[in-house]
Amino acid sequence: MTPTVAVRLPASLRVSTFAQRATCFVVLAEKTARTRLTYRLSTVLALLASGLAYSVILLVWLRVYHENPKPGPLPLAKLLAYLVTAFVTSEVLTLSVDWRVLQRVRMGLIATDVIRPLGFVTFQMAQAVGDLLVNALFALPIFAVGLHFVGGGLLPPDLASAALGLVSGALAFFVSFGLTFLIVQAIFILHSGYGVVTAKMALHQVFSGLSAPLVLFPESLRNVAVWLPFRHVIETPVTVWLGHADRASVPRLLAAQAAWGAALIAGGALIFNAVLKKHQVQGG
Amino acid sequence: MDIAIETKGLSKTYFRRKRGKGFWGGLRSYLSPTSDAVPAVTELDLVIRRGESVGLIGENGAGKSTTVKMLTGILVPTSGTLATLGFNPWKERRKLALNMGVVFGQKPQLLWDIPARESFKLLKAMYAISEDVYRFTFGEAVERLELGEFLDTPVRLLSLGQRMRCDLAAALLHAPAVAFLDEPTIGLDVLVKERVREHLIEMRKRFGTTVVLTTHDLKDISATCERLVVLDKGRLLYDGSLDGFERRFAEERTLFADLEADPPSQARHALEADLVRDGATPTWETERRLRVECPRRGTAPRVTSAVLKHLAVRDLEVESVGIDAIVARLYRNPGANGARP
Repeated sequence: MTPTVAVRLPASLRVSTFAQRATCFVVLAEKTARTRLTYRLSTVLALLASGLAYSVILLVWLRVYHENPKPGPLPLAKLLAYLVTAFVTSEVLTLSVDWRVLQRVRMGLIATDVIRPLGFVTFQMAQAVGDLLVNALFALPIFAVGLHFVGGGLLPPDLASAALGLVSGALAFFVSFGLTFLIVQAIFILHSGYGVVTAKMALHQVFSGLSAPLVLFPESLRNVAVWLPFRHVIETPVTVWLGHADRASVPRLLAAQAAWGAALIAGGALIFNAVLKKHQVQGG
Repeated sequence: MDIAIETKGLSKTYFRRKRGKGFWGGLRSYLSPTSDAVPAVTELDLVIRRGESVGLIGENGAGKSTTVKMLTGILVPTSGTLATLGFNPWKERRKLALNMGVVFGQKPQLLWDIPARESFKLLKAMYAISEDVYRFTFGEAVERLELGEFLDTPVRLLSLGQRMRCDLAAALLHAPAVAFLDEPTIGLDVLVKERVREHLIEMRKRFGTTVVLTTHDLKDISATCERLVVLDKGRLLYDGSLDGFERRFAEERTLFADLEADPPSQARHALEADLVRDGATPTWETERRLRVECPRRGTAPRVTSAVLKHLAVRDLEVESVGIDAIVARLYRNPGANGARP
């Protein structure tokens, strides 16, 4: 039977407090993580494929270093520590926001997302945090295998590097989210977005320093890469964590990450407001 | 605030890219795109008071869903003004969302991969629903919509009817001030539709929710709405009460008389003459069954008296035209009975 409690109704229209929005943010992140855990086989396959790709990158570098034993700008031990940490970071910070929105725009389901009381940016960010939680879980085996082969080189040299590395990692989340949120805007404009999502993945693969540290790039490419946000998702947090970055430059790197994160998210939000005015929700 | 929704001169025009035919046509459109302006809603003036329940009907493409999307803040109008609960829907989307419930029959709002119960918990947090309101609305939905047996099944595994029931429960969980229900009974069987209607009536009774219901099933409207708005090609065709709609567009009645015995030819002729004089049209369906079309209001009683005077009647039945038939007729001929305002 329906409970016969005296129901107090809001006398006036509802308004939400910051605390209520924060609670909602946490619950949405948790539900997104729960959703991501639904398809076990698919997740395991993705993890195996990532592991295979990372192994191939490592084997290629081992061969390069084996055939050119003259030490370059980065000794082999440092390179291996960098690459494995970069793989773990990439695994954690690769967010599914753009793919999720792409699917929902194509099906017209985005209509229900834009009228959530949480606001679209916060709604997407909460889902990104949900992604992050699951990603972190699945990055653990990669970290464990890396630790087995590379050893203590994966760990920060001192407490300061560890703390700064964690701060940089947190800022890297905002940069990664900002990039995917910008892609979301392109999806709104184009009504599709496979092209831009794929382009972003390709640029990220090259310029983030995932496959090779930027220090090994030809100078002209390196000069391009340092002005792009992608490096702040992988290279910056990894080099700060491992203590590879010059300590004096760390505050500047963290500031650059914060600036990129804020600019990308704010820019995305501005574009969203403009784009939504012209958006035509598909379907009846 | 007495007015829940107000629109003045509300219009929305879509721009649709023209696509050439065949491969070369497609290539030409790709290289030199052009688009057509398609008006979806034109100069719509509408005032809906708090607590009213309004049925919004019209053919496919009449502008119902576009109107609802503008009222909820999903679409920005091309011109005109509108306010929902006093908010500008697309500028104050978040504030409005807290006080509004929405069902899009073809766009589920529940999280697809996890059980509906989890989505309800999320909505409780999202709308900051107090414990006592949640206990009531959730309990009411579980009982009336019979959600109990599939609450813990992932939404993607639910049947259409089960999913729609969950969606309706989700839209009304926070006892919203206004609810937009866009085809909430689409694809449902008769029993489920009945449950959905009962739930809607109960929630309105409890919370005084303003309801805007778009549907192709007119029984939804006659069961839950007191006011009808008919759109045709984006323009207002009718706005008024359901009774008024029937009075205005369905004056005619049909009388059926079953007779005790074959009528004498003299009585038949006399009756037919009386009926024709009153503007009615008699048709003998069988020797003992007479059908009389009464074209105007007020003729049915005179026709009935004439039939009873001339014939020995075993049974008598007077039928009015159903709302479905009126709407079908209006769709075929929007100018009928001076429908255009």
